Amino acid sequence: MTFLDRTTDARKFRHWPGNVEADYIYTSGVAGERFFVALRDEGRMLASRCTACHLDYLPPRMFCEDCFAELTEYLDVPKTGRVAAITAAHIDRTGAQLSHPQVWAFVTFEGIRGGLVHRLLTPPDQARAGTAVRAKLKPRDARTGTIADIEGFEPVRSRF
Amino acid sequence: MTKVGVIGAGMTLFRRRLEETGKELCFEATKMALDSAGLTRGDVDMVVCGTAPDAFDGVAMKGEYLLDGSGGYRKPYTRVFTGGGTGVFSTIAGWWHVASGLADVVLVVNEEKMSSCQPHPQSVFAHIWDPILDRPLKPNLVWIFAMEMNRYMTVYGVKKEDIARVAVKNKRNAVGHPCAQLADPNITVDDVLNSEVMAWPVQRLDISPPSDGASAVVLASEDFIRKRRIKDRAWISGVGWCIDSTMWTDRDLVFPEYVARAAKHAYKMAKIDEPRRQIDFAEPYDPFDYKELHHLEGLLLADKGEAPILTREGVTERDGKMPVCPSGGLLGVGNPIAATMGMKIGELFWQLTGQAGKRQIPHEVHTGVSQAWGDLMQYGSVVVMRG
Ligand SMILES: [Zn+2]
Repeated sequence: MTFLDRTTDARKFRHWPGNVEADYIYTSGVAGERFFVALRDEGRMLASRCTACHLDYLPPRMFCEDCFAELTEYLDVPKTGRVAAITAAHIDRTGAQLSHPQVWAFVTFEGIRGGLVHRLLTPPDQARAGTAVRAKLKPRDARTGTIADIEGFEPVRSRF
Repeated sequence: MTKVGVIGAGMTLFRRRLEETGKELCFEATKMALDSAGLTRGDVDMVVCGTAPDAFDGVAMKGEYLLDGSGGYRKPYTRVFTGGGTGVFSTIAGWWHVASGLADVVLVVNEEKMSSCQPHPQSVFAHIWDPILDRPLKPNLVWIFAMEMNRYMTVYGVKKEDIARVAVKNKRNAVGHPCAQLADPNITVDDVLNSEVMAWPVQRLDISPPSDGASAVVLASEDFIRKRRIKDRAWISGVGWCIDSTMWTDRDLVFPEYVARAAKHAYKMAKIDEPRRQIDFAEPYDPFDYKELHHLEGLLLADKGEAPILTREGVTERDGKMPVCPSGGLLGVGNPIAATMGMKIGELFWQLTGQAGKRQIPHEVHTGVSQAWGDLMQYGSVVVMRG
């Protein structure tokens, strides 16, 4: 066997199975706690403000990565955001075909640094950058204080 | 080579579980270190982050993850990692950034959030072993320490109570430490000897348990220190690091050769030829009580087998002739692997600049040595600092 021979079946050789069994519990941290509790309890999305740099961070951070001030002021992110970039996934991360393509979007908000990557709740052929969108939240009872409390973003429909 | 000084230090509380994310812990320690140096992030040229296996925090590429809290945004930034040795090694990496003339001011930020890992960080420690030779036996890290401790006891006829004195001393020293997780003013040798047996001769109170925490130090060039008229500084006068055989079975279990080689390198740089006379106090790595003794001998501050005797005679107490772990060490303050820099480099800085508060060594000290121990228990990193 040399490196020039290629095998695609690792189990052809004598081998030892192994796994790194590790489970984790994460804290959402000081800023994360504010964000997720407001999302769960009040359906609000918060950013944190650096008054020195005139920046609002989404997701909120406890500190300004630039001037290194501690950030304690929180404000609401505008309800309507805009799709900055999209993709449609056709296979999942194991390589299996998805039954329907999943649309993912990077959503930004006027005057806010950063943004959110989340599901875009439109068919792939209607997904495009520049679309005005709003977060669709799960009902209050179903929200647990995680990023999945947001089901995704959907296009803002004209009311008239 | 440019002369390098430590000009600020900070650390968070060390606790079994903290609410802050790793990034937030880094921010708190970094902000404190910058404030204590009278600098802002804008003064910082480069950043070094030190943190142990990604598997503890449960974030792959942890160095990248911690960069904003560490002040690394849009700066030359590197994560270094030598296991537990990172506690002192990251400062050596920071030192070479400045000593080389490449940077004037470098931040060194160390972090560990071990509480993320469930049910216990021991489950990921299990995977530092060789996957074919060792892992099928399901080894527990404590076995290895227990055999090393036992070998040390056997060769020199050391009594367990003399080793337990180290845990007592350090947990008592930590009473004056604002970040301490494990301080105990009333602990006795009997408490240690009566604690649960984990793997004989290692008992519960012989070990420092896992913690969450972060620490940071600010390094600067001599030029910068003079120009800014910074008064509180301690000079890094020697550095050394060394790794022994990857095979645990090929090492001397009684004498930590890797520490001795790292120490000799650091001492040569610092022009120290009689360490016991020229070094006033030490902060060796003490995740286990016997390791403080082991490391004191490796640092050539005690003859082989003599460290337990010095401990029994009170030489290593805070008011003794050679104070050892006046911070309270890992046994007293806590053991968030890399973040133990706060008791190693941080404590040297605070002691040498007279800022150690209740922990201040009562007599005058001019030269201190700190040491950390890591990788697969065969890595030594050593820094000598002068006031
Ligand atoms: Zn700012």
